[in-house]
Amino acid sequence: CGPLDIAPVNRFTELNFWTTSENVDNALNNIYSGMYTSTLYFYNEALSDNAYTAQGSAAGNPEAIASGSFTSTLPKFQNDWAFYYQGIKSCNIFLANIDQNKTLPAEVLSRMKGEVRFVRAWHHFNLMKWYGDVPLLDRDLTPDEAKVIPRSPRATVLKFITDELTAAETLLPTKDAYSAADNGRISKGAAIALHARVLLYEGNRMAEVVTLCEKLINDQATNGQYGLAANYSDLFSNATVNKTSNESILALQYVPGLRTWSEFFDFAPRSAGARTNSLAPTQELVNDYVTLNGKAITEAGSGYSESTPYANRDPRLTATVVYDQYVWRNADGSTQIIYIKPGSDPVRPALNEYTLNGQGSPTGYYWRKYYDPNSLANFTSGLNLHLIRYADVLLMYAEAKQSLGQLTADVWNKTIRPLRQRAGFTNTEALNFPASGDLTQTIRRERRAELALEGLRIDDIRRWKIAETVLNGYAHGAKFGDPTVDNGYIRAQRRQFDPAKNYLWPLPASELNLNKALTQNPGYQL
Amino acid sequence: LPSNGIPVSFAQVNIELTGQVLDDQQKPLPGATVSVVGTTQGTTTDENGKYRLSLPDDYVGRSLAFSYIGFTSQTVVIGQERTVNVTLKTDNSRSLNEVVVVGYGQQNKLSVTGAVDQIKAQSIEGKPVTNVLQALQGESPNLIIQQTNFTPGSGVNINIRGLGTLGDNTPLIVIDGIIGGDINLLNPNDIASVSVLKDAGSAAIYGSRSANGVLLITTKGGKLNQKATVTYNGSYGMQSPYVGLKKVSAWDNAYYKNLSLINSGLPPIYTPDDIQALRAQGNGDWERQSILQNAPQQLHNVSITGGGATSSYLISAGLQDQRSNFIGPSYGYKKYNLRLNQLSVIGKLRVNTILNYVKSQNKSHSNADWVIFADADRVPLNYSFQDAAGNYLTNPVASQYNVKSVLEQGGYYQSDNDQFFANLNAALSITNDLKLTGIFGGTLNANNAFFRRLQVNNYPTGVYGNDRTVYDNSFKNSLLNSQVFADYTKRIGDHSFKVLLGASDEYYRSNGFQLQKTLTDPALGTPTTGTILDPVNSYNSNTNTNETRISSVFGRVNYSFKDRYFLEGNFRQDGSSKFAAGRRWGFFPSIAGSWILSEESFMKAQNVVGSLKVRGSYGLVGNQNVNAYQYQTNYFNYANAYGFNNTVVGGAGFSLGNPDLTWEKSAMLNVGADASFLQNKLTVSLDYFNKVTSDILYSRQDIPLLFGAGFPDFNVAKVKNKGWEVSATYNLNTNATKQSFSVNLADNQNTLLALTYGSDQQIANVDAFGFIRKVGQPITQYWGYKTNGYFQNQADIDNSPKPDGVLVGPGDIKFTDFNGDGKIDDSDKIVLGNPFPRYTFGFTYRLAVKGFDLNLFIQGVGKRDVMLRGEEVEPFHYNYGATMYEHQTDFWTPDNPNARYPRLAAIGSPSNTNNWRNGSDVYRYNAAYARLKNVQLGYTLPGTLTQKVGVQRLRVSLIGQNLLTLSELNFIDPETSEFNNNLNLGAASNSARSYPLPVFYGFGLDLSF
Repeated sequence: CGPLDIAPVNRFTELNFWTTSENVDNALNNIYSGMYTSTLYFYNEALSDNAYTAQGSAAGNPEAIASGSFTSTLPKFQNDWAFYYQGIKSCNIFLANIDQNKTLPAEVLSRMKGEVRFVRAWHHFNLMKWYGDVPLLDRDLTPDEAKVIPRSPRATVLKFITDELTAAETLLPTKDAYSAADNGRISKGAAIALHARVLLYEGNRMAEVVTLCEKLINDQATNGQYGLAANYSDLFSNATVNKTSNESILALQYVPGLRTWSEFFDFAPRSAGARTNSLAPTQELVNDYVTLNGKAITEAGSGYSESTPYANRDPRLTATVVYDQYVWRNADGSTQIIYIKPGSDPVRPALNEYTLNGQGSPTGYYWRKYYDPNSLANFTSGLNLHLIRYADVLLMYAEAKQSLGQLTADVWNKTIRPLRQRAGFTNTEALNFPASGDLTQTIRRERRAELALEGLRIDDIRRWKIAETVLNGYAHGAKFGDPTVDNGYIRAQRRQFDPAKNYLWPLPASELNLNKALTQNPGYQL
Repeated sequence: LPSNGIPVSFAQVNIELTGQVLDDQQKPLPGATVSVVGTTQGTTTDENGKYRLSLPDDYVGRSLAFSYIGFTSQTVVIGQERTVNVTLKTDNSRSLNEVVVVGYGQQNKLSVTGAVDQIKAQSIEGKPVTNVLQALQGESPNLIIQQTNFTPGSGVNINIRGLGTLGDNTPLIVIDGIIGGDINLLNPNDIASVSVLKDAGSAAIYGSRSANGVLLITTKGGKLNQKATVTYNGSYGMQSPYVGLKKVSAWDNAYYKNLSLINSGLPPIYTPDDIQALRAQGNGDWERQSILQNAPQQLHNVSITGGGATSSYLISAGLQDQRSNFIGPSYGYKKYNLRLNQLSVIGKLRVNTILNYVKSQNKSHSNADWVIFADADRVPLNYSFQDAAGNYLTNPVASQYNVKSVLEQGGYYQSDNDQFFANLNAALSITNDLKLTGIFGGTLNANNAFFRRLQVNNYPTGVYGNDRTVYDNSFKNSLLNSQVFADYTKRIGDHSFKVLLGASDEYYRSNGFQLQKTLTDPALGTPTTGTILDPVNSYNSNTNTNETRISSVFGRVNYSFKDRYFLEGNFRQDGSSKFAAGRRWGFFPSIAGSWILSEESFMKAQNVVGSLKVRGSYGLVGNQNVNAYQYQTNYFNYANAYGFNNTVVGGAGFSLGNPDLTWEKSAMLNVGADASFLQNKLTVSLDYFNKVTSDILYSRQDIPLLFGAGFPDFNVAKVKNKGWEVSATYNLNTNATKQSFSVNLADNQNTLLALTYGSDQQIANVDAFGFIRKVGQPITQYWGYKTNGYFQNQADIDNSPKPDGVLVGPGDIKFTDFNGDGKIDDSDKIVLGNPFPRYTFGFTYRLAVKGFDLNLFIQGVGKRDVMLRGEEVEPFHYNYGATMYEHQTDFWTPDNPNARYPRLAAIGSPSNTNNWRNGSDVYRYNAAYARLKNVQLGYTLPGTLTQKVGVQRLRVSLIGQNLLTLSELNFIDPETSEFNNNLNLGAASNSARSYPLPVFYGFGLDLSF
């Protein structure tokens, strides 16, 4: 008879884990890893009017939310909720135990706490954004506490988030103070930028948004050197620019071949190697790209023609969306024409053509943005996914200024003009401060075009309270449909949005069963 | 009584009586009782039926009684003869005279008090199966065998008496006394018997692992004093895959597609000319029929047995080869067995050595079967897999690869497993009454797998396997078991005692490693420019090591009075390394009794009932099927958690522990009766059981997700399981013919009594519908909306409750508004059925006429629901699919208002969302079935003829398997289940896409000389 006490040989126990510095590093890396996922990043776009997914079951069925036909048991409500709270738990365990470590220098411990508090605030921000009032977890809960904790009022959660980000700002070094090996860590600049985003979403704290953005725009010696990458498309496709541009304030970090994402396998034109299409850009997104003179396609004098709809447009359209007869550059430098219009492809069977029957795009559009020419098989990519870019700071600044009635030519020239220049606009009509017109709409269009496929559009729709307009009726595709219906634009998905309730998600039904202190958001009670 | 040299009264001079007890076939009868009537003197016969008695000489004139259970007793007056031989005649009023293997021993069936079924080799031999469990299906009531697919070498689900726990329901497997063997690797031909221990009375001696019942497998051995015999058994035949799915023609498919679009307010996509063109073009071959073919299966066994006065042997070798029904290179499952069973009798010591070596090889294609079938099923018949030039085609409907190219050129997975089993059993008869047994045994497994995905370029575009992954995986485990136990048997007059006491130690260790590379050389699979070592899927053995140990003591006491009243007590105490000190030891007792009523005088007067026995048992048994190390919270490092500066870094995760983790406990009650009628032509057994399992190890469902971490198992749930079993055999023999009819029927019903502390239900969504676990209900059931016909017109729509935000039309499914609140939402979801079988049955008919023999075996399930999903059920499934099947054409139209399926509607339309995205009983099918599982028609050549060429027996036979099935569900096999024995609620519900049931036709040959 041998001993019955058998310990695992590949694991640490609570007693010996935290004292080793390498373990603390790993625990922190795990928190970074759990900050966000590529699935959330891309498929949340299908919640908005930018995209439609016909096959969103792997992402928890975001299309059901977009369609307006769902209940509180929809998997996505539960999956997302669980994801953010898992992230919070890792943070709280880290903060509760890190002081057991006696070998790391004090300034490293302090910086690590700053990073972790940032991530904890980030998860709370996402929860608050979708669910409103949520349980605020500023320490690790016991199982029994988890069964009785109530929701905290949204205002309390908001205050916690902004306080934590303020604290993180002081604890964290600037990105420039980090060593090169630490490229990608959460920095002082990221804390300020996220703080600005949190307040921007409030809508009524624009003066503070301005102050925070100005820290990043005007005080770069203190807060980090940021700027715009020279080429818009390179930010999402060029292996070097994507990783090293000082436009990146915070990005989800990947490493080719080792830590990867492969959503693009279902985004690209099928002739470029995609398996199927499960996220398709909408006609509504395409329509919001201005023409080269800066005018909306609906404006007089825009030069837009429905017969050549993709010519003369914001160059970011071509950098983002694949449309009929798009010239696709393959990884080896050769090109191919993407024939999407039914019956137009000289090669049979036609893989990219729009058909109601197949694996191709249900809207007649594919994605180009985030295409990785260096990706491995099945579009396995190591490109970073940008969470906060300096371009976003400029857009936040312009928007906050505009809402305060302070959008001057000077502000324009510091924000929209450089973004358009970088995008490739040369027409002075597009670059110069417009003398007239609805600047609010101009900035919103600019934001949509600049940030498409970065998961921010649905946030914008919700905070601008335009969902009942843009998420009601059909999401459309290209003009390959029945000419008698919607002028021939494909009806991709019928959508509904009830402003009385849909601005908040329901709490997962299962959570309410298990914690009687939780209440449901209005309109979702079973 | 004189003993130990102590002087006795000189008045008593001893006489020595010796003799032998034989049965009516003149074979020695070991274990028969020899006693002096009216005294306490007596003994039992040894294994050669011999006895020796030393008696006072004044016993001359008294009577010597010879008795053995199942035989008529005889008395002989002690005279001057000092050698008394007797022949005992079988007692026809007692049919229950077979020997049954029980835990740590054997019992005469008459004396068995628990619920034990024994399946004999006769029921296993001749069935064309590569897995023993497949041969056991239907042979014992409530021994439930299911499969999730029928791919060669695939595992089999097995449970005894249904589901009693929320975790693993697999019974304990004991092979030749060694716990924990792999029944899948046994050669079916090597099995002498399988005992199914169903109740606590019989199973408690296996303690902490017996709550799911026990299968005791005894393999064949040689016999003493038997001349050498060589036996060959073999079969060869073809397996034909059963495919019930039939696609509609390409042109009908186009018509239906148009209809679905028009029904959804969308323009049709096929013009009448397009449809004419499809008709002119004819159907292509893109369907599952085209990727399946008939495949051979062959089984061969040779054995040599024999024995002398002091030793016997059996050598057996087997080959089992089942080819895959997939087209492409010849893949499939091969198993080689070599077994040696040797017995030496050295005075009072019997040494039995069993060595068994198994080599199994399984080779298959490089993808999952369900992916292959889903892709074959999703493309309409407009398309073919290949063009005239042989190019593998892709098309707008399929994904980027072509399943035919995957099967034919996409690489393979090959596992090579070597298993060595050794069992050394030494039994020392210290006295006639006391026997000491030591067993040392173990199993060593060395498993290797090699996987290689090959790149196949399709035409005009599309590629499979461009990751060009190669991996090697090695997995070793060893299970060592040492046991020692003592048996003491004593008979004093009418009182008979048997005591067993023993101890055991088991140690299990496994470790494995894997090396995986991607982007290898396309031709060779070797590293080349760009090759990447996959650090996540490559691991060393120290990160993949598992060790467990169980130490035990166990015992049993049997007492019987007048061979009529039986009482038995069992216990086992186990200590397991899976639990923390203080929670580690469990005690599992049982008590059982039986009464042979037919031996009572009041029963002797009648002649309706030949024999009648009633029995009952009650006891506590355990289950510890949880992963090791769960009682400690621990942290683990892992690779590639994140990256900084384009360089990857590791991460550390944690697993919470539960220091209070301990056994599951089942309290089991069993009552039963065995009877025979009509001069023993008809025998009947009945059993009723009631089992309550508490402290079930289960993940806690009462903690909200906001807690933020997963949980280890806790002892939280409780399940009641009750049911009954009936089996009957009727033998009808005349001089010319022998016939027997055996039938068994059983039911079990489980009820969840507690789930976790505060929570009484758990719902898991599986794509379309869900599963529910709810207190007061069977433990796993389908969950969703109940359909209530179809909306027939607008007025019907206006007046009926509907799901929020869905615009329905005539022909769409109407759901039942159970709470009457005027709308359809989650609160209207109900239980839709039970995916586990009830009323399982088996029927065997055997006939022997002259040299001919016929064996028919029917097996089935009386009640089971199955919910299927995917393109096989939903027309134009989810846009992944673009097909219609013939069974789907029974859809709603104004002229077909009571159709099986709703009207056709395009994906994304409100109708489609209503009809198919709201999981409901539209997905439900009745999976009850009766299947002609096995037919054998044999002819044995007359011995007078064959013996001229030295052949003792020569039999040829025709064999068929799965020949006929009666079921409402005919487009998919009704037997296939989506669940494995772990009852994971995340079952992917892919059973419509699993490898099909093979129908086997072949012939067999049995030869011995």
